[in-house]
Order: sequence, then C-alpha cells, then structure tokens
Amino acid sequence: MALTRRQALASAGAAAIASKLAKPAIAANEPIRIGYLPALTGPSSSTGIGINRGIQLAVQEINAAGGINGRQIELITRDTQSDPTKAVNGAAELTHGEKVSVVFGPVNSGESLAVVPLLARANTPQVHPCWVDSLTDSQKYPMCFRNAPTNQQIGAAANRYVMDVLKRKKVAVISDTTGYGTASVNAYVPMLQAKGAEVVYQGNVDAANPDLKPELLRMQSAGAEAIMPWSVNAGFLSRIINTRGDMGWDVPIVGQTTLGSGQTMALLEKPEYWARVYPNNFRNVCYAPGGKLPERTTAFRDRLKSANVDMRDTLLWWIAVGYDSPRMIAEAMKTAGTEPEQIVGYLNKLKSYPGVYGDITFSPDQHNGYPDDEVVMVEANSLKDGAFNLAPGYSA
Amino acid sequence: MVVSIVSTGLAIGCIYALIGITYNVMFSASRVFSFTAGTLGMLGGVLGSLFIAQMGMPVLVGFVLVLATGAIFGIATEIVAVRPVLKSLDQHLYVLSTLALALMAQQFTAIEWGTEARPFPRLFDIPRGGFDQQIWLPMLACAAVIVGLELLYRHTLVGRAFLAISEDNYAARAIGLPERRLRMASFALAGMIGALAGFAGGEMLLAFFGNAPLLTFYGFVPVALGGMGNNRGAVVAGLLLGLFQQAANFLVGGIFASVAVFTVFIIVLLARPEGLAGASLQRRV
Repeated sequence: MALTRRQALASAGAAAIASKLAKPAIAANEPIRIGYLPALTGPSSSTGIGINRGIQLAVQEINAAGGINGRQIELITRDTQSDPTKAVNGAAELTHGEKVSVVFGPVNSGESLAVVPLLARANTPQVHPCWVDSLTDSQKYPMCFRNAPTNQQIGAAANRYVMDVLKRKKVAVISDTTGYGTASVNAYVPMLQAKGAEVVYQGNVDAANPDLKPELLRMQSAGAEAIMPWSVNAGFLSRIINTRGDMGWDVPIVGQTTLGSGQTMALLEKPEYWARVYPNNFRNVCYAPGGKLPERTTAFRDRLKSANVDMRDTLLWWIAVGYDSPRMIAEAMKTAGTEPEQIVGYLNKLKSYPGVYGDITFSPDQHNGYPDDEVVMVEANSLKDGAFNLAPGYSA
Repeated sequence: MVVSIVSTGLAIGCIYALIGITYNVMFSASRVFSFTAGTLGMLGGVLGSLFIAQMGMPVLVGFVLVLATGAIFGIATEIVAVRPVLKSLDQHLYVLSTLALALMAQQFTAIEWGTEARPFPRLFDIPRGGFDQQIWLPMLACAAVIVGLELLYRHTLVGRAFLAISEDNYAARAIGLPERRLRMASFALAGMIGALAGFAGGEMLLAFFGNAPLLTFYGFVPVALGGMGNNRGAVVAGLLLGLFQQAANFLVGGIFASVAVFTVFIIVLLARPEGLAGASLQRRV
C-alpha cells in the first residue's frame, strides 16, 4: 500500500502528540539518561578507552547500589571516533533525540571545542575533563563544568617544579608547531618570566624534523639548566630525550604528560635516557616517596582489581577521572534533582568533592574545579600499574 | 658542528633526492607529477616497521616485502589516479587525483597504524655511534638507485624503451612499444624507489604517518630545482637541499630553518624557472 504525503504527516503528528502525552506517566521510574561522548576509536582514543573503564565501573556500582533515588542510570554513549564533526553530531543526537539530563565529555579538547557551545545553546549541563583554557566560561557556558586541570594549571605546575623544587633559573622552552605547542609556549614563557626565570631559549620546531641536535646545542650554549618541552608528539619528545642522551648532557626535562607515555619509551635509543625526565601528573594517583598510593586511591585500585579492570595498558588517572565523573553527577542528582537547573545549582556550590583523581570545587564564577597543588611532576621511568612515582623533591 | 651538518645533511639530502627520482620516474613515463611520491616514502618506513619490528620478519624478507608493496602501490596509482586523467593532461587533473590518493593512503595509515611515530628497527646489529647506519643507509640506497637506474636506462632494452616513451610516446607507440605496460612498469619502479627512500631513512624519520606531506614537499624541491625529469639534477639538488636545510637548522633554527629553505627555493626558481640543471623548454607556436 502506498502511503500518501498527507497520511505520513498525519501519523507523524499523531506520534508526536502521543509521545508528549505519555511522558509524565512514566517519568518517575524510567532510568536517568546520562549522555556520554568518549573517543573510543580513532587516533585520540587511548585516553577515551582508559576513561571508559572507569566510567563503566562507576555506573555499574551506582546501579548495583540502587541507582539514584531508586532510578537506574542509563549511559547513552556516542563514540566520537576522535572526530569533532562526529562529536557534534553525537551531542545533537543526545540533546535533541535522546533528551539526556546531562552530558559527560567529550574527552579530547578538539572535540570539546566544537561541542561545548552547542550544549550551552541546548541548555544541557555538561561535565568534561579537557584542558584547553577556553573550554569553561561561567558567563558564556554557565552549565559547563571542568573536573580536570586547565592548561594554565599544567604549565604552572611544571614551572613551579623547575623553579621552586629544582631551583633552576635558566630555562629552555620548546614545542612543536601545532596549535597546542605554540599556544603552550606563548602562555608558559610569560608565566616563567613573571616568576623570575630567565628563558634562555624559546622555539617552535616542526615535529617531523628528524634532527634536533642544533636546537639542543643552542639551548646548551645559552646556558639552559632545564628543558621544558610542550608537545603531545611522542616522536618529537623522544628525539629531545635521545639527543640529550647522545650529547651526554645532564639536564632535567620537565613538561607534557606524553614524556612518560609508552609510545615515547618505545622510541628511546637506550632505556637509561628516560632518567631525569619529569612529565605532569596528579598527586592523588601517584606513588608517594614510600611507594604508596594515597588511601583513597589504594581502595580504588583494589576495587579495579576485583572488577578485573586492566590497568597495565592505560593510565590510572584516566580511569580515575572516568570513575569520578558519573559519581559526581549522580551525587548532584541525588541531592538536588535531575532538572538542568538543579544539577547546575548543586555543582555551583560543590566544595572539595573527594574524587579519586582530585578534590573538585566549583563556584558560580569558577567552573574549573581542579586544585592547583594536586598537579605535580613525576618520574617518567617509574610507571607501574598505570601510576608513576612523584618526582624527587615533593613531600609525601 | 660542520661534521654534523655534512653527515646528517647529506643523509637527509639522499632521502629527498630519492623522492625526487620517484617523482621523475613517474613523470618520464606519463608526463604526470604524482603527489604520491612522499606517501611512498612514508609507507616504506611504516611498512618496514610493521613487517620487521611488529611481525618479527627477518630484515631481508621485510625489505623485499616493502619494495613489493611499494611497486603494487605504484601500479595502483597508475591505474586509479593517472590513467583516467591522461587524456586531459593539459587540465592538470592529475594534481587532484594523485593528491586525493596520497591523502587517502595517509589517512588510512593514520587510522590503522596510529598518529604517533613508532620506532623503526635497527637493520644491522652494530653499536651506535659516529658514522651510524642511520646516516650511511640513505646514502647507500641513493648510490644504489643512481647506479641501478644508469645501468637500466643505458644498457638494457627495457630501459631504452622507458627512455623512448619518455622522449616521445606517440612515436614510441608507432614503432610498436607497449606504452601502457611500460608506463605501469615505470610506476612500479618508482614505487620501489619511493619505498626504499622511506625504508633506508626509517631510523632517522621514524615510522610516522606525518612524514608523507614532509617528503612530498621536500622531495618536490629537488625536482623543481634540478629540472623536471632530470635525475642527475634531482640528486645534486636533493643533496644541496639537505645540506642547506641542516645548515639553516644550526644557524637560524626552529621554524626559521624551513622559511630559509623555501626563500632560497623561490629565489632560485625566479632566477632560473627551468631549474638549475634543466634545459629551457621550447614551446611549439
């Protein structure tokens, strides 16, 4: 039977009316829908896969404990495939199609840059762990919260370590020519200078440049006492570490988390070159000088082990931020309610929420929740079960 | 410093020269500049790492497989991106078709291999230091290709047939040369040379998908400077480019090194549009 246009429109209209009428009747017991936009595939998926292990465990635990005031959580996942366009499509689907109460993610900055304004327009509360500074703005995006550090905090922690702990005053700052690299150098150099450091070398180099010896020689002859690289490119970072090793130059390298990644390690000419390399990390998920994790994190790691969550091929802080996020959202919904204004109202007053990843605090004007002093540096060559040793010089 | 400029500069220059030859071999057979030349170099590094480091094949087997894959990619380029646009060479559609194929291969590598650089295996188990294998391997590969091509073009019938179609493919067809098959053979040969460039330079450049655009650009410079289709010009210009780039790295450093390279490139082309070693083109009027 052929369907006429009029019939099709009539049935669509009827369906729309029916769905509007039906909603209040089932709302009390239906699951709470939380939108989730991880990159589970594609080039930036390693973070997403780690975060996903934490989030799945948290949702299982919340639901097993009776859910939120008797209602189960339903995680509506849209894989962004590491692609901002797909992240935008996923976000539109979650808000307009799936009508979720809140969105967690995206988990990569590139995707978040595209998604944050869209969710703000849709008046959907959002929590994300991305570092790019402009991704939170309590005026422009009043419903968007960050439960992770900003790039500003990441750079400041590295600067503090170089100047206050290692007591180095002459610093070389190098990055690749990507947007992230150049923006980092432009932001961190003035911060170093404001703290009284002398930036003796500052450069952006093509990440594919096979020979970085000229750059390191220039740093050395300028009298640099520490090298601070800002790049997420393992090839570029490993070339800096290898060149330092080949030159026999005993200078600390302090900077981006990728310095401590397995990809960087795989590219080192000699394993011992990885000594005196200090990437960023987070105090709560690091081994203190005695080799112990903080109490909260030890308990979390035991739960991960008993749930058979693999920690060897990922990083503990990824799992931790994934684990904390739905729990923080659930806490908000349990206490204040599931409407957008109720969730935002609760988060706006959140004080030292004790996450595994960090203690999160928001205020109506400050939606960056991660505390400065929990961003630390670690020993790159100390990775064990996804966590690192604190770099030398930090107190326990 | 001078030692470092000369050794690393010449090694990188040899890789550029090989990519330049890859362009030229494809150009001679088809009058098409195939922008897959840099992609072939990237694939040489990635596949070498895949076969030898990941899959654990012996170096020789991995090497032969890399060359074979390069040849297959060359033939595929001819069939997919070159043959369909040969009829309308004057519209320069090949720029789009070969660039599209190069980008597809690059993106496919990014998805399947990853966007991080991965290590390229050490081909000979000898200690590092001084005049290392990552320096002399590209030089050896470049010398082998120059000698090999010279022997092929001057002393074999097939090589002369290659030259014939590059000189005048209408006349070559008129005397009964199988132009299409010779063109495919040229692309296969170019594929092997491109892959060899990436394989020999693998330790220096790493197995990294982002090497494709780098090699496509820097490999084109020797072709433009040395004269299109002129292999000797490409080798000389490639070596000079490597040396100049490395000297610029030392003297000005950072991104200014690339600026210096392209400034000189533009000045040379303004002064001698036909390239340093190219003959000036005669146009039929």
